[in-house]
Parts: sequence; structure tokens; C-alpha cells
Amino acid sequence: MCPRLAALLLLCALPAWADAPLRLWHAYRGAEETALEQAVARFTEDTGTKVELLALPYDAFSSKLTAAIPHGVGPDVFLYAHEKLRSFREKALLAPSDARLVRADYLPNALSALTLDGVTYGYPLSLKCLALYYDKDRVSSPPTTTDGWLEQLGQLSQPAQGQFGLAYEAGDFYFHAPFLFGFGGRLFDDAGRAEFQSEPMARSLAFVLGLHRRGYVPEEASGALVKSLFNAHRVAMVISGPWFAGEIDPAIRWGVAPLPTVSTTGKPMSPFLGVEAAFVSSRSTQPDKAQSLAHALSVGDGAFLRTTVGHQVPADLATLRTDAVKRDAFISHFRDAAQSAVPMPHELEMQKMWEPMKLALRALLQGGTTADEAGALADRRYRALHRPAPADASPLPWLAGAGALLLLAAAWAWVTRPREPFRKRYPEAARGLLYVAPAAAGVVTLILVPFAFGIGMSLFHHEPNGSYRFVGGANFADILQSRGYAVTEPLSFYFTLAVTVAWALVNVVLHVGLGLLLALVLKDPLLRLRGVYRVLLILPWAIPNYITALTWKGLFHRQFGAINGLLAALGVEPISWFTRFSTSFAANVVTNTWLGFPFMMVVSLGALQSIPQDLYEAAEVDGASKWTQFRRITLPLLRPALLPSVILGSVWTFNMFNIIYLVSGGEPGGATDILVSEAYRWAFQRNEQYGFAAAYSVLIFCVLWLYTTATRRLTQPEVA
Amino acid sequence: MSSVTLTNVHKAFGTTRIVKGVDLEVRSGEFLVMVGPSGCGKTTLLRLIAGLESPDLGDILIDGARVTDTPPRDRDVAMVFQSYALYPHMTVRENMAFGLELRKLPRKDIQSRVEEAAAQLELSKLLDRKPKELSGGQRQRVAMGRALVRRPKIFLFDEPLSNLDTALRVQMRGELARLHRKLGATMIYVTHDQVEAMTLASRVAVFNGGKLQQVGAPLELYNAPANHFVATFLGSPSMNFLPAHREGTFLKGPGFQLHCPVDLGDLRDVKVGLRPQDLRIQSDGEFTGTVDAVERLGSDGYAFLTTPAGPLVSRFDRGTQVSVGETVKVCLLSNALHVFSSDGEAAILHPGDARPRVEVVA
Repeated sequence: MCPRLAALLLLCALPAWADAPLRLWHAYRGAEETALEQAVARFTEDTGTKVELLALPYDAFSSKLTAAIPHGVGPDVFLYAHEKLRSFREKALLAPSDARLVRADYLPNALSALTLDGVTYGYPLSLKCLALYYDKDRVSSPPTTTDGWLEQLGQLSQPAQGQFGLAYEAGDFYFHAPFLFGFGGRLFDDAGRAEFQSEPMARSLAFVLGLHRRGYVPEEASGALVKSLFNAHRVAMVISGPWFAGEIDPAIRWGVAPLPTVSTTGKPMSPFLGVEAAFVSSRSTQPDKAQSLAHALSVGDGAFLRTTVGHQVPADLATLRTDAVKRDAFISHFRDAAQSAVPMPHELEMQKMWEPMKLALRALLQGGTTADEAGALADRRYRALHRPAPADASPLPWLAGAGALLLLAAAWAWVTRPREPFRKRYPEAARGLLYVAPAAAGVVTLILVPFAFGIGMSLFHHEPNGSYRFVGGANFADILQSRGYAVTEPLSFYFTLAVTVAWALVNVVLHVGLGLLLALVLKDPLLRLRGVYRVLLILPWAIPNYITALTWKGLFHRQFGAINGLLAALGVEPISWFTRFSTSFAANVVTNTWLGFPFMMVVSLGALQSIPQDLYEAAEVDGASKWTQFRRITLPLLRPALLPSVILGSVWTFNMFNIIYLVSGGEPGGATDILVSEAYRWAFQRNEQYGFAAAYSVLIFCVLWLYTTATRRLTQPEVA
Repeated sequence: MSSVTLTNVHKAFGTTRIVKGVDLEVRSGEFLVMVGPSGCGKTTLLRLIAGLESPDLGDILIDGARVTDTPPRDRDVAMVFQSYALYPHMTVRENMAFGLELRKLPRKDIQSRVEEAAAQLELSKLLDRKPKELSGGQRQRVAMGRALVRRPKIFLFDEPLSNLDTALRVQMRGELARLHRKLGATMIYVTHDQVEAMTLASRVAVFNGGKLQQVGAPLELYNAPANHFVATFLGSPSMNFLPAHREGTFLKGPGFQLHCPVDLGDLRDVKVGLRPQDLRIQSDGEFTGTVDAVERLGSDGYAFLTTPAGPLVSRFDRGTQVSVGETVKVCLLSNALHVFSSDGEAAILHPGDARPRVEVVA
């Protein structure tokens, strides 16, 4: 590199760096995002400091922060709920708030949510908790007790006409927590471990089950479904948070009220309280300006804009006292609800509760378990997911082994090296290498390095606090011994492997069968509109598969899906597709067959068209019927073209993550998960067990490697 | 041994009429060669007989039984395709046995028949090879073998030798002729090669434009072609045609006059047909022309001339000196005059005829 050019570049970069804008990351959308932009603009106006906003998808936000900040490429300020506070602090992502934070300015429970061991991090922005939305045209006064509520719901619900009293995302523990607290339950036992098996838990589950059984609540409700039902006047009440206000049709007259009190216990149904805060990154290069931005967003104009434009419930007392905010019934209702809410614990133990509770709730609502036993189910899952960390192992034997392998490989390369010098054999090597270099670099960075990294990681145990410990083959041993659960349980590697093999087999048979059948139909040159059919049949392949998957997911919905609608029209009892293994598996297979047959059709069509027509004529004269021609001529001649596609297709299907994740989502209880989706869950949904997930991936690789080695023999051209 | 009868057979593909009303009788045990230029409908006719196509109109009979709507597998015919159509995934043995297997013959019979046919065609050593490991000639023999083992009522050949080189073609022609003599089976053979037609056929059927022009023994067609087309198509080089008019017992054209041995009545305008083989370049003759080109075939040769009446091809004997640009005389051997109507549609006179073949009108 020319030194003068480098100096020039540096010169250009320097002033820009000195005046670099603050980076602010958030996951806001819609009105909240608009309000944030306005508040930031006001900040820039007042201080002259430029701010660069970056909106990230909520699902990826946390992992993005965890990955970016330690490498110095993250934001200066980011907006996040307080529940991850402890995890963020353990990863050293946060800088404590400085003297700008005046404690008297904020609601006390918002501040306490941001305080850890006496140190406060970030500036509280807004409060988020659940409350009861109601349709004023149908509900004159919101319920105050569960008894009154049940009475109202009974009058409002007519499930046969698709009319429901209440809708909420019942399969999510975040929405179930108010019921648990209302019935007197708690999250952790005295030792601080998550508690699933308790009397209040069973009673809260029984209550929720009752709501569903009586048809007061629609089944399998997602956020989108809740919204569309409320906007269509088909549901009178909704449990949701402040974000829901932005989704309601302006034509609807609605109100918000705190959740009612449970009549039998006299306790309020307290929701979780989430405090959203502006956190300052520990690696910010302009900490003073960053603190000033975070502070400015939490009070004064910043808070006022977020409240009036973004419909947030501010944590800032001054804003809450302004007339405009006081007159806003929506804000004051949520402020009231927030005062009785339970701040979401930021203990790591909390993170471990979600999946077991989700499993228990779904199993309960789908009839897979009873209210009394659901807690035990969750507890069992909890124990399975949070296996005790394997003992540390010494990396020395492994390093020695790897070294020995490397030496052996080097020795072998030396022994088998060609006698002729490299330059003589490949006189144009330099130019050739130049051409190959870009592709080789891609292969190395995108395939070889991650592959080696994955193998390495499978030998480690990862703790949610970000530390890695070397455990040798313990992850593999645990997986292969199916430790902690029976072989017949969905969490077992062998169960999942069997499901995966069945999945690949059924799919490939259907893909090839259907593809071949359609190819045979389309082959006929006299078929009218052949080109049109061909394009139509290839379309499923051309559409991004996650769109197709989500479409099918909707078609399979228990109450609102078109497939059950069709069955109902035929007089067949609607099927709850994702509550039983067989139907859930079938739904996955149908979706993937829809996606997969066009490829096999195109391959078969090409192969069919390359078979000379006169072979069929010769066979016809020889006395072969159409079926015999297909069996004795078509099939054997298709084999060479079809076999590689079948092998390729089965490998694709084996790792078809999207369909499983989006259509059945592993339901019921993870039974339809395949190996890749299971590996994903271990890595990202079950306490960040990256090493365990990596071991899963290595095992997947081994299975596929064995499979392709076995089938390679079949595809090799025949030798005379 | 079976006969085939076609009555008024028509076949069109879309709007293209390929076969326009053919009546033809193939006698039992006969080797019938269907010949004609590309697109004359001969291959379509063969496929109609095989049952691979069905006629739009007309009937096909085998041994007097109507098979017009019978599928190929029930007609008991065997066909050798121009491309051979060997099953690429089967060995030679499997290729040959395929038709027999489908007819559920006992395994032992299949084996003996295949081996017998293989011995006949010198394929015994190749039985376990795949078609792609064979030469063109070997593949051709496998295709024949596949037909042979079936022992069908009728053999159909669709230009089976057209993909072979000349030497192999001559050899296979001989083998085919021998095979027919030995089996005595009915064989229908399509070709565009007149030499194959002349050498192989018991009878030749000449087609043009979807119509049968003439059918008969090869020499019959050569000596007495029914019209201008047949006369041109058979014989190499082709027959010369010169327009002429009758004056008394002479046929006169620009620069020539020929004596006509038969009284042609009141007929005026005709075409005379002269085979190059019946013409000689000599010191004196009926025609005078300039030599444009010379083809020497060894002992003799042909000269291509321009005469006042039009182009003329004539044979010359060994020892005759002919060079391009030279003006020569050509004479017609005696009793070798063909006379056709002026439009070429009908033959009026062939050598040896005592009277005109058609009613001659003024």
C-alpha cells in the first residue's frame, strides 16, 4: 500500500471520527419510532450532537448487542427492556448512569428495576405491562373481579358464531403470569429456583383451561389473530400491552382497564412490569455525550414526545404530571396498572422459565395434559433443558490428538507427494491460483472456518454469562447416552433422528412421486396450454419458502384455517393439526411437498424428454403395455438423472429448518422437531448451550456424511 | 408367412396430407421394397402397417383380417428402426429377449432362440455387452436379431442400412437377402436407395407425393416404368427425357429425329425417354452435343452433354476418347426407345411393345 495514500485516507477519516455521530440502536416501529426520531432531532437541535438511528428486528436485537458491543462496533446508546439487565451486566455491556440521573425524577419502581447491587444502569424511558382492552360498544363497564368477568364472558361469547368474550396469546407465559400472581403464585421457590409445581399454578392453569373449554377464548391465538378479531368486533376484550393501542382500527371505541382481581384469593391479577430504558454502552467512545443523550430521552421533551406521539407510558414524573398526559385516560390507566405490576425479575433463572412454561401451557390447552400435571411437565422439561454443566476436561489429550492427526496428515502428504516439481506439472499455476482465489476465499471464510469453529465449539460448554469451559467429549456423550430423558422423549437425540429420517424419507418419496407424475403429464407434446401448466407448477418453487410456510401455517389453523373450513364444509370434524404428532407431522409434510415437487418435476421432465421416442415404439412393437414401458424403459432410463437429485433432495429435506420452525414449530412438545431445528433450540432458546448445539450439528454432519458415502456408490457411472 | 393388404389408406398430420389413398397388396413370403424420395409417405405407410399410427381412412388387413384398430403388440409384427432403437440400459441378450419375455415364453425357449439368432448374426460373443459398447454395424445386427427372435408374421424394416458405411451396407444387404431366402418370411422394407430396392426386392413399390406410382418386379419397373417419375427414379444416371413431335414414323426434336417402330396414330407431342446405358458415343449418331462433364467408372463411363434438344447423358465404351468441350455424336442402340405422354404422366411405348400402351387420341 502506498504510504501517501494511507496518510491521505487517515486525514480524511480523522475529522469525521472526531465529529462521529452517536449511534442509537432500538427495536421500535410505527408511532414509537416516529416519537423517538422526533425526540432525537430535538436533542440534536439543543446540543448540536448528531445521532445515527438504527432500528433492529426485536428477535435479533439482544444477540446483536451481545456480539457487537464487546468488539467496539456496537451502539453508544441502546433501548432495551430491563429484564436482560443482569445478563448484559455480566457481559460487561453497560456503563452505570452518571450524575445526570436524578432519582426523584422517576417512578420509584422503574428505578428499582434498573438497579443491581446498588448500582443503577441506564435511564428509565417507559413502562410496559399488560392491561385489559375492551370494546366499548359491547362492554359497558370493565370487570373488577373474575366472578364478574366470567359472567360477562358468558354473555359475550358465542363460539359457534365465531364470537368470543376474550382473546390473548394464551400459549405464552408472559400472558399467563397475571393469572399465576392472581391465584397467589410465585416465580421462584425459597432457594431461588424456578417453581412450576404449586397449588396456585395448578389453579391458575385450571382457570385458563376453563376459559378455553367454555369457548370464551379462541384457540391458538397469535398476536396477529388477536388484532384481527378485535378489529372485526368478534372479540370483546383483549389482554395486551400499550403497543396494542397502535394496532386498533380507529373506528373502534375502546377503553383500557387494569386486569380484574381474582375472586377466590382477593389478589389482583398483576402483570409483569417491563421497564424500557436507554442504556449507555460500556464501549462508547463518547461516553459523556452518550449519557447526555440517554438522559435527554428519559425526561423533559424527550419523554413528552414519546408519550404524546409514541403513546408510551413514561417513567418520568414531571411528564406524568403534565395536563396533557393527565387527561389521557389510556396513559393513566397503564400508569395505574404499572403500579400494581410485578417488575420482571432480571435473574438468569427467569430466562429458564419460558420454554418449560410454554410447553406446559400449550400441552394443557391442546388437551395433552391436565391442570394438575402441567406443572410437573414443565418441571421435567426444565430439568432436561438445564442439565448440570459437564465437568471440566483437560484439553491436553485433545490437543495432542489433533497435533498427532496433523502430523500424520503431513507425513502422508509427504510420502505421497508427486515426484515431479509442482512448477513443472502446473506451469501456469500462478495465473490459475489467481482465478481460483476469490472462490477459494469464499469457501474458506463461509464454509471451512465456520466448520472448524463449530467442531471446536462442540468441545466446550457455554454458560449464559458468556464464559466457555472446555469439557472434551462430554456434550457428545450426553447426547448419545440421551442423558436426562428417555429415548422415546422428543428431547432425545434418537427420537429426533428417527423423526428426521422419517421426515426425509416421506418427503422424498412424495416429491419424486408427484414430480414424476406431473412430468409424465406435461411431457405429452399435444397437451394444450402445456407452457402455462409448467409455469404454474414451478411457481411454488419460485416463491420464498418461508412465505409458503407461513401461508400453510395459516391454512392449518384450528379455528380460522381454510383447510378446517373445507373439512367442515364436507361435514368432517375440524382437526386440531398441531396437537397430535401424526397430524402435525402431516402438516409439515404437506407444506414441504408443496415446496419440493417442482424441483423433481423439472428434473424428471428434462430426463424424460431426453429418452428417444423410438424406444417406446420399439417396445410397443415388442409387445409392451404402457405400464410395462414405464417400468422397463422409463424408470431405468430416468435413474441416472433422478438418483443424484434424490440424494440432493434428501439432504436438503434432512436439514429443512424453515418448514419445521415455521409450520409446526416442533409442536406438540417438540415431537416434530428435526435435528437442525433441535440444534437451533439448544443454541438459542435453551439457555445458550452453544457447545451442546454445536455437538448436535457435528452429529448431523456425521449422519449426512455416512449417508452420502453410502449413496455415492449408487450414483457412480456403471463400469462395463 | 402372411400377406398384408392396404385399401384406400389415407393419413394426414395436422393439415399435411402424407398418404393420399394407397392400395397395395403384399403377398405372403414376398420381400417388398417401398421406395421413393423423402416425404413420399413410405415410412408413414410402414408405421401404419406396424400400428404405430392409425389411418384416417381406409383399412389394413393382415392375412385377410382387419387390424386397422389393433395395437402393435397384437399384430405380431417386428420392426427394425432406422435408429435401431436399442434399449440402452439392457445388454444385447436382454434387448433380444425383451419381446419374448413380454410374450411369456418359457425361459429355455427364450435362451435357445436368442442364441440361435445371435449365432446367425455373429453376435454370440457380444451378448453381454451394452449397446453403447458396440459398433454401428453390430448395433444394426442386434436390431435385426431383436426382430428375428420374435419369429413374427411380418418383418418391417425402416431404412435399416442408412446409417452404415458403404462396405458394411453391401455386406448387410447380402445378409438380408440370404435371411429372406432362408426364412421365407414376409418382409416390407423402406428405403430411398434404389440400389437396395433393385437388389433386395421380390417386388418394388415406388411412391411419390403420398401416392403409389407403380409396383412390380425390379426389372419390370426398370424396363417398363409407368410414368416419367418411376423412369427417373430407377436407374443411374437417370433416364434422359427430350420433348419431340411425331412426323409420320419419325419422332423429331431440335437437332434429332428417331425412327418409331410402332404406329402412334394421331399423337403429336410426346416425350422420348432414353436410358444413358442405351446411348453410345460413336463416330456417327442421331444426336450431336458438346461435352460438359465426364464421369469415368473404370472400364466405361458417362458423358454429360448439351444438345440442341436439351441436356443428355450418354454412356461411352472403353477405348472411346471423350474430353470436355469436344463436340461428339451419340447414337441410340436399337430397340431401346421409351415414349411418354408430353406431361410425363403416362408411358406410351416401351421397347418391345407391339402397340401403344394407352389409347392414342389426336
